[in-house]
Amino acid sequence: MEMNIMGQKELHKEVREAQFCTGCGACVNLCPYQASYRDEVITLHPCDLKEGGCYAFCPRTPTDLDALKKRLFDPKDLMPEIGAMKGFYITRAADAKVRAKGQHGGTVTTLMSLALQEGVIDTAILADEGQTLLPQGTAVRDPAGVRKRGKSRFVVSPNVAEFNRLAKEGGKKIGIVATPCQGLALAKMRLKPLVSYADRIDQLKLVIGLFCGWALSWRNLVALLRKKTDLAEIEGMDIPPSKYHILQVYTKKGSMDISLDEINPCVRGACWYCPDLTGEFSDISVGSARLSEGWEEAKGWNQVIVRTERGQQLLDLARERGLLEFREVPGGNLKKLKTASMSKKKTAVKNLILRSRDPQNLFYLDSKDPVLGTLARRPE
Amino acid sequence: MRVLLMGNEAIARGALEAGVNVAAGYPGTPSSEIIENLSRVAKERNLYVEWSTNEKISLEVAAAASFAKLRAICPMKQNGVNVASDFLLHLAGSGTRGGLVLVSCDDPGALSSANEGESRHFARMVEIPLLEPGDFQEAKDMTKWAFELSEKIKNVVMVRSVTRMSHASGNVWFGGLPDKEAKAAFRFDGPLLDPESGSVSSLPVSHSHPVQQGKIKKAQEIFEESPFNTYQGPKKPELLVITSSVCNLYCREAIHLLGLKDRVGLLKLGTTWPLPLKLVKKYLLTTDKILIVEEVIPFLEESVKILAAEQAREIGIKTFYGKKEGTIPMTGELNADLVASAFSKIMGVPYAPMEPEYEKSSKAAGGSMTPGRDLTFCPGCPHRASYWSIHKALQLDNRKGFVCGDIGCYSLGLYPAGFRAVKTHHAMGSGLGLASGFGKLDAFGLDQTVMAVCGDSTFFHAALPALVNAIHNRANVTLVVFDNGGTAMTGFQPHPGLTVNAMGQEAPNLDIARICEAMGAKVETRDPFELEETRSTLNRLMEEEGTKVLILRQICALSPEKKGKKRYTMRVEETRCLGDACSCNRLCTRIFRCPGLVWDQGKKKSRIDEVICAGCGVCADICPASAIIREEAV
Amino acid sequence: MEMLIQDPYNIIMAGVGGQGNVMASRVLSNMLSMKGYWITIGETFGASQRGGSVMSHIRVSATTTWSPQIPKGKAHIVIALEPVEAIRILMTYGNRDVNVLANTRPIHPVSVIAGEYNYPNFEDVKKALEGMSSHVWLIDATEEAMKLGNPILSNIIMIGAISGLGLLPVGLKDFMTVIRDTFPEKLLDVNRQAFEIGREKVAKQTSGGGSPAPKSPKKVEHQRKAK
Repeated sequence: MEMNIMGQKELHKEVREAQFCTGCGACVNLCPYQASYRDEVITLHPCDLKEGGCYAFCPRTPTDLDALKKRLFDPKDLMPEIGAMKGFYITRAADAKVRAKGQHGGTVTTLMSLALQEGVIDTAILADEGQTLLPQGTAVRDPAGVRKRGKSRFVVSPNVAEFNRLAKEGGKKIGIVATPCQGLALAKMRLKPLVSYADRIDQLKLVIGLFCGWALSWRNLVALLRKKTDLAEIEGMDIPPSKYHILQVYTKKGSMDISLDEINPCVRGACWYCPDLTGEFSDISVGSARLSEGWEEAKGWNQVIVRTERGQQLLDLARERGLLEFREVPGGNLKKLKTASMSKKKTAVKNLILRSRDPQNLFYLDSKDPVLGTLARRPE
Repeated sequence: MRVLLMGNEAIARGALEAGVNVAAGYPGTPSSEIIENLSRVAKERNLYVEWSTNEKISLEVAAAASFAKLRAICPMKQNGVNVASDFLLHLAGSGTRGGLVLVSCDDPGALSSANEGESRHFARMVEIPLLEPGDFQEAKDMTKWAFELSEKIKNVVMVRSVTRMSHASGNVWFGGLPDKEAKAAFRFDGPLLDPESGSVSSLPVSHSHPVQQGKIKKAQEIFEESPFNTYQGPKKPELLVITSSVCNLYCREAIHLLGLKDRVGLLKLGTTWPLPLKLVKKYLLTTDKILIVEEVIPFLEESVKILAAEQAREIGIKTFYGKKEGTIPMTGELNADLVASAFSKIMGVPYAPMEPEYEKSSKAAGGSMTPGRDLTFCPGCPHRASYWSIHKALQLDNRKGFVCGDIGCYSLGLYPAGFRAVKTHHAMGSGLGLASGFGKLDAFGLDQTVMAVCGDSTFFHAALPALVNAIHNRANVTLVVFDNGGTAMTGFQPHPGLTVNAMGQEAPNLDIARICEAMGAKVETRDPFELEETRSTLNRLMEEEGTKVLILRQICALSPEKKGKKRYTMRVEETRCLGDACSCNRLCTRIFRCPGLVWDQGKKKSRIDEVICAGCGVCADICPASAIIREEAV
Repeated sequence: MEMLIQDPYNIIMAGVGGQGNVMASRVLSNMLSMKGYWITIGETFGASQRGGSVMSHIRVSATTTWSPQIPKGKAHIVIALEPVEAIRILMTYGNRDVNVLANTRPIHPVSVIAGEYNYPNFEDVKKALEGMSSHVWLIDATEEAMKLGNPILSNIIMIGAISGLGLLPVGLKDFMTVIRDTFPEKLLDVNRQAFEIGREKVAKQTSGGGSPAPKSPKKVEHQRKAK
């Protein structure tokens, strides 16, 4: 698959200055010129190399998503709306304590600790709580450590930077929890576009993707929340289904609803140009469930898309060991998820065209992509 | 006795021959050697020599000595006169008692300055006499005579030198040194307005200003007969050249180069304000073509033209050549070549300094072989490490933050040597002054992080009032004080932060951290060689409100106690340095840019140049492959 | 007072800030001043110390003080503590008859260190210098100085070399007289050694052929300075 690889200068112009950077961390720890700080990726000094991993792996440099999916997944499994799907489930951790520590159903925690236990991986890269509301990528080697880090963060954790750092050391089997953009970066690494990094990606054994609507900019979020509560009291956050139109903040004193109208200005600008809701580049993708009983019940469960053999094996093992509970998937759920996913793609394409004023120019996306290209030609 | 002396040494000698008692100044290139030379003989000649906190205070200290009937000298660079100017203005109004000489060393061409401002205009503006030595002998003789003149007219006298006089050397014949004892006494109990025994003040101005102007008139009369105004050349020259200062030497050489000694007359003025009108008029009568050669701004040219206009009826219409009509460049310093080119143009004599063949072939041969030498920090300089951390902190902070710079070696922060962290650069103390202003603009939506830097000497000189301003007005500013233990750029002179003074005696030092704390700033101190600690402290402080001060304390690489001593032995481990094969794109040599860390073109790897490396150890922390090894030196 | 080959005789000592250029020019000038010559020294230092090019212009005359900077194209001898600086000087002050004495050890400018420019190779430098001058002497002064224990002695070696060339009336005795007043006693011996090494180095090169005197020596009449 052809890939036009450029260097830091072009990366800076096409991604950073263009405000497409998602903070995924793929360009960090390959060299001393980028660093991640808080939830931003920073250029420390200018580099004049003509080609770099930073450009090659960045999920926001031009990518033929269609070809990439066909390369990494079984083409029979590919669905235009949500990527490869071998199976669709609703699960939760069987252990109530694990669920309590998790965001919704505790499925990611369960799968990751199982992978560690079984030796599928020896290192798991997760988001840990750094200072107030600020996550950081952490490498965890024991299953118990996974359980400690179960909550969702609505601020980007540059996990791929941590992957780069560990992979450089060599000799590992790494699993990672990845947002859609991070999953895409890792997928681009799989193409091995640059000889110097070729052997690092082989150490990646498991990618658990997360459903993601957007991420919030830390600075703006903190500025907003500081006005409403003592930041030290915050224990977690969640976003109920869109009809509620709120962000819920859980504090020691109880929960607080904030209208999404106040939250939207805090969203990372780059997220409005992202076409991936369900983390299409992963072995398994996990999000929060939707059930007919309503949000109170659904928020204790996860929706799970299995995309690869590896993912299927892990899920089956979890079921076999009684670590995950399964329940029936309501009839319309898959359709609703596909609609939601397409909606995000439409928004991304619409925003890209607003920027470029040219339906043929989708910046880093391919205007000839079978799904995105169609959306571009029919902008409703 | 004939001695080879630097211009500044000659000036110092002149002061000694005049029996100077007190010398006060502030380090400033090209003036610093004057105080340094006097301090060396302070004990032997029974002088009081002081490095004052700034030039205004140094002039006040010297003036006090003068009011107490002692002789005092106050040397400074051109910018110092600006700093001292308010006091100078009032001093010129109040008059002096003991001889007081202000020596101003200008820097045409800005060889060591951020401007090529002129100090001569102050003489005209505050109405005091101005003397300009035209060679090294005059540097001594005129300084000595300046004390006499000052006592004759009871006012401060300005002696103006330039870099190419102060820092150049020539032969000087010594005079004797007086051995009279000095007794200081400040008389004030006589009639209020009595210059010797009354109060010393420019008030009432209606009285003092006419008195002051009378003094200038008296000086002018004295100047008419001064031996420091000389003429060389034919009685009726085709071209009259009027010049002063070191341009005298350039003109003489230019006349020699073009063989014009029988056609060009050279009027060298040593007394350039007020102009000796009768003398100048006498020479203006000898010809119609006048060329005025001076640096930098057309001060002499304007004075002569005004005189010519006033005397036009008697002397006739003249053709003036100089800066205004373009024969002499309006900016930059002069030299014998530029003057010779001017003569060549006016007199129609060809001037070809270099054989065209040689010039062409040497440019071709040499052009590609002489890579420029950009200024950089010395190996082992703490500023390199400080700016490394400041730059990194500002990048991570990600709010388009910037540094307001100040005067010192650390001015190089404007350039790649300092990773271009500095974005404004003006006068002493201006960094924090500007930052104090920027730090209030958040009310107008400025959401950029504001920083300022200043050195330890600059801190005392000018930053203190700016710091008061920032704290009291709640400006959001982070000040970084580069404390390297001395006034380094000008030659490592002491300042009030040190425990030693200009005369080498023990002195109580002022603690910068305690002062800032007492003022109400949040203060922390770090060693800039600890890169990560410094950087994380900066990032933390940048996020806080109000005025914060981070003192980065590490002694200058050229300080006497550190020079030549390596703390670490450094080397590059060849097996670890991958050179061009590393993805580091030569971070150490291309970005860090320490002269001791060299790119070996042959091996295509980095290596340490042990002759240049100062052994500070900082580079070991920047290599991503940990290929730079540091070991404690034995 | 011996007659000079040229009056004023124009010497340029060039190098990189920190090499002791100023001190060396002072020593040489004092050696000549002691003999009764009028000396004018023009120096560029201060900001240039921080790794920049530095040069000292020394005017030696029987008659008067000259301009502290030598006019374009009028150098008689260029003494370079760094080889590329010699080329830089010659581009402005050189001429067909100039003599060049250069130290061989390069000091890389930061732009070269950073990989932005290439430092020319030695053979090219030698060729360029030969093309721009009457005669060139190349001395590995820094290496010899390091053998003596301190690289800064390279400038003393160069002074010894100048003495060895015979273009100026200065010898070991003059050198020792000057430094006895200014250097600490314990350093006198090693400086003497450095001076003599410089003399030897030049003697070896001169004996190999080529006259040390400039192509067309001109006698100068003493000019009485009209004052």
